[in-house]
Amino acid sequence: MKFSDEMLMAYADGELDLVVRAEIEAAMARDPKVAEAVERHRALAARVQSAYAGVLEEPVPERLTGLGARSGAAPIVELASARAARDVRAMPGGWQLPQWAALAASVVVGLFVGMLLMRGPALPYEETATGLVARGELDEALTSQLASAAGHPDIRVGMSFLDRSGDYCRTFHMHRNASLAGLACRSGEEWKLEVLATAPVHQGELRPAAAMPMAVMHAVDAAIEGEPLDAADEAAARDAGWRKKPDMAE
Amino acid sequence: MSTTTPADEVRDALGELLPRLRRFARVITRNVPDADDLVQVAVEKALARAAQWQPGSRLDSWMFGIMKNAWIDEIRSRRRRERVHAPEEAGAQVGDASAVSRDIALSVQAAMARLPEEQRMAIALVLVEGLSYKDAAETLSIPIGTLTSRLARGREALQRLLGDDRSSR
Repeated sequence: MKFSDEMLMAYADGELDLVVRAEIEAAMARDPKVAEAVERHRALAARVQSAYAGVLEEPVPERLTGLGARSGAAPIVELASARAARDVRAMPGGWQLPQWAALAASVVVGLFVGMLLMRGPALPYEETATGLVARGELDEALTSQLASAAGHPDIRVGMSFLDRSGDYCRTFHMHRNASLAGLACRSGEEWKLEVLATAPVHQGELRPAAAMPMAVMHAVDAAIEGEPLDAADEAAARDAGWRKKPDMAE
Repeated sequence: MSTTTPADEVRDALGELLPRLRRFARVITRNVPDADDLVQVAVEKALARAAQWQPGSRLDSWMFGIMKNAWIDEIRSRRRRERVHAPEEAGAQVGDASAVSRDIALSVQAAMARLPEEQRMAIALVLVEGLSYKDAAETLSIPIGTLTSRLARGREALQRLLGDDRSSR
């Protein structure tokens, strides 16, 4: 029996069940190359571990230990002042405080606006001859919203990727009356909903993929070709109108 | 202060977690000031939303998830700004293992710094923090198969960078 390197890695990490473990151990006993491969994975793991072990011994800076001891009122304000006092490094893109504050605020505002909008009658998807198709605000969010951006208050796009046929797909969370999550793939000028499932609720806050239902995860696994898009590719794909990629040239 | 709320519980437990949070932050941000900023932001966020943490679930995974999201937001906004200011350099930060000669052996931290973000996060959670594949996949909000392949590719790249790519295939 031949084991993939990924299998041997999982074995070295203690991830496999008893049966497979036993098979791999038998293979290791038979074939020194298999044993070596496992050993290589273990050695690397140990090396990486020890490379960062020192951090645990470092004294924790006071500004961090202080955080836990405080009775956490108005943390955002505290953070802002902590930073202002600390003379942020001048690189073009240090931590942008207002961003955090805005994010926190937008969740609250989003909840309100969302509640008002939710009275709206139109469903954000439609049943067509080929299946469910995104409409209205969902269609708009899928077409224009980037995963990193706060766009529609009740719709968040999770990850984007290319499927095996070269079409773009995107996962999303949507909070209307219920929390829903799904996978939509580009089909012509529309977003076809491949999966739509109930998502666990987190107190009204949309937590993009943290609570992605298994049904959606499985659909992603089955559809994805390669890796999810990074932020730059995602923006480029959006700007190009999510048109199918004829070739994958950089 | 007489009754213990989830928020108190989180606050108490976070104190003990701080060294590990700093370590995780160090791996993913690759430098000390960013790492401690990230821990600070994540702790503030965690305290603000402590009610969302489910007592009994793993606080470390929860924190790592918050940190990962915060860091991704941060690098995205940095990249956006970089694109505005210096379009040519935008891609240069992304680690490219293949660009480094395989003859030069790097220190583990330097090698880790060259890995793409997502591979480094997978390695940080599994190899450094000791999470199971399942917990790590949940923390990163990715399917377990994706986690496994990121981990495998990250390790391959590390072996190469560290100069002990002795695979006999």
